[in-house]
Amino acid sequence: MSENIIGALNDHDVGIKEQDQLLPIANVGRIMKQTVPQRAKISKEAKETMQECVSEFIGFVTSEASQKCRKERRKTVNGDDICWALTAIGFDDYEVPLKLYLRKFRELEGEKAAANQTKDKEDERYPLKFSFTGSTSSSKGANFKIKPFD
Amino acid sequence: MRQAGTYSGILSGGISGKTGPHLLPLARIKKIMKKSGEAVKMISGESPIVFSKACELFIKELTQRSWMVTMQSKRRTLNKEDVASAVMATDLFDFLVNLVSESPLEMDTSKYS
Repeated sequence: MSENIIGALNDHDVGIKEQDQLLPIANVGRIMKQTVPQRAKISKEAKETMQECVSEFIGFVTSEASQKCRKERRKTVNGDDICWALTAIGFDDYEVPLKLYLRKFRELEGEKAAANQTKDKEDERYPLKFSFTGSTSSSKGANFKIKPFD
Repeated sequence: MRQAGTYSGILSGGISGKTGPHLLPLARIKKIMKKSGEAVKMISGESPIVFSKACELFIKELTQRSWMVTMQSKRRTLNKEDVASAVMATDLFDFLVNLVSESPLEMDTSKYS
């Protein structure tokens, strides 16, 4: 933990974090805007400060989660580890909405897989059959009728 | 009945990588996670997804608290000093204290050992 703190201090001494270590200011700004009244304004510096705070947040939570994984001899940090870490550092209010979000995501992934399977089955059951009569050299000349499916 | 519209957004990169239904870019989140330490080597596909929501909640909470400071000062523009004040006033945001200070504070490292 102390190593991370020292690393963080060095970043700040150097000054501006590189852009790829920050979430895009447009996205961050949009979420901030959604939170304040419509006529409120947010300074660019406030958005920049928020960008840095979020990156710090991600780093802090991730290092807690990865320490847990190390203790349990696991190599991969997963969604549940992140949820655990958030509670461990005091963000327990986030646990319920996050677990719901994760569940929805997992359901959506399941639906997506199922939809692909259903799509393939439909293609097998209802192939479109049609034949052309007359010349096919130009789309104007071609006549085609669609044979109703069985 | 096939609903291509519902799924094609996801298939073309909503959840799989780009912003899509998430408000924050997953690839960037993953990059920031990896930079947090040598020990962080492997990250599951779900972790950036969870973080995209957690970061959204975090931004909303810090923004709300900052806005309260702005209102107390009878202003309509939320500035970075308001964010700093909100951080100072909230125990939960202790880890951000050094980040928002104008001049870096002397670190008392003994409390972390």
